[in-house]
Amino acid sequence: MTEQPVTAEVAAAESSAAPKLEKYPDHLDYKDLETLARFMNSQGNIQGRKRTNFNTQRQKALKLAIKRARHMALLPFVG
Amino acid sequence: MSQLYEGMFLLDNDVVRAGWNAAKHHVTDLVTKHGGKVVSARRWSERKLAYPVRGRRRGTFLLMYYELPRTGIPPFVRDLDLSESLLRYLLLRCEALPEGEAALAAQESAADYSAPVPPSDEAGIYAVVQNGIVEAPSDRAIEPEIIPELEGAGVHSSPAGRD
Repeated sequence: MTEQPVTAEVAAAESSAAPKLEKYPDHLDYKDLETLARFMNSQGNIQGRKRTNFNTQRQKALKLAIKRARHMALLPFVG
Repeated sequence: MSQLYEGMFLLDNDVVRAGWNAAKHHVTDLVTKHGGKVVSARRWSERKLAYPVRGRRRGTFLLMYYELPRTGIPPFVRDLDLSESLLRYLLLRCEALPEGEAALAAQESAADYSAPVPPSDEAGIYAVVQNGIVEAPSDRAIEPEIIPELEGAGVHSSPAGRD
């Protein structure tokens, strides 16, 4: 079985995703509000994976951290 | 077998104004009461809350690392639920004490440490912006601007963006 050639779109997507993943620590802490607020829009929603460029594990960690911060009234649920 | 836990506690500012050490010991005493040991405890922050909790718009956060046996967890949680000075709490399992945490807690336990008195509930502005949290300093007073041509008529306008 021959290996599939890497298309230009896939290569571009990988190169754009890689630096963003490396920019943030593996463990997203609920106390690091400045980092978490970057991944929320102006209405307080958590940004999707298309926008954050995070993999599954990192996106789940982000969701958990933001929900913990919301519970402690550190971040808003809306607005 | 004891496990290390991280606890974040949101304390009522009315209780904190009466005395920070008393408010802190209220929580730390619950840990020792249930057979645990406090590793470090410090005032993490005093800030405007993202939404009102039990009618309070500001609160003081206590960050504590403690060891507690598994059997001590349910009665500890029950006591936290019954406590009226606590607005919220979050308990997490923790592998190890974070770096620098012990030094920060030691600063607070120094004899000359005095915790700042929390401001009133109306002080400060909570706002999440695109690149982080912006909180106005508590001493920022917003004065109404006086329009020169209307000064004689005694007309005041609110500052920009504060309508």
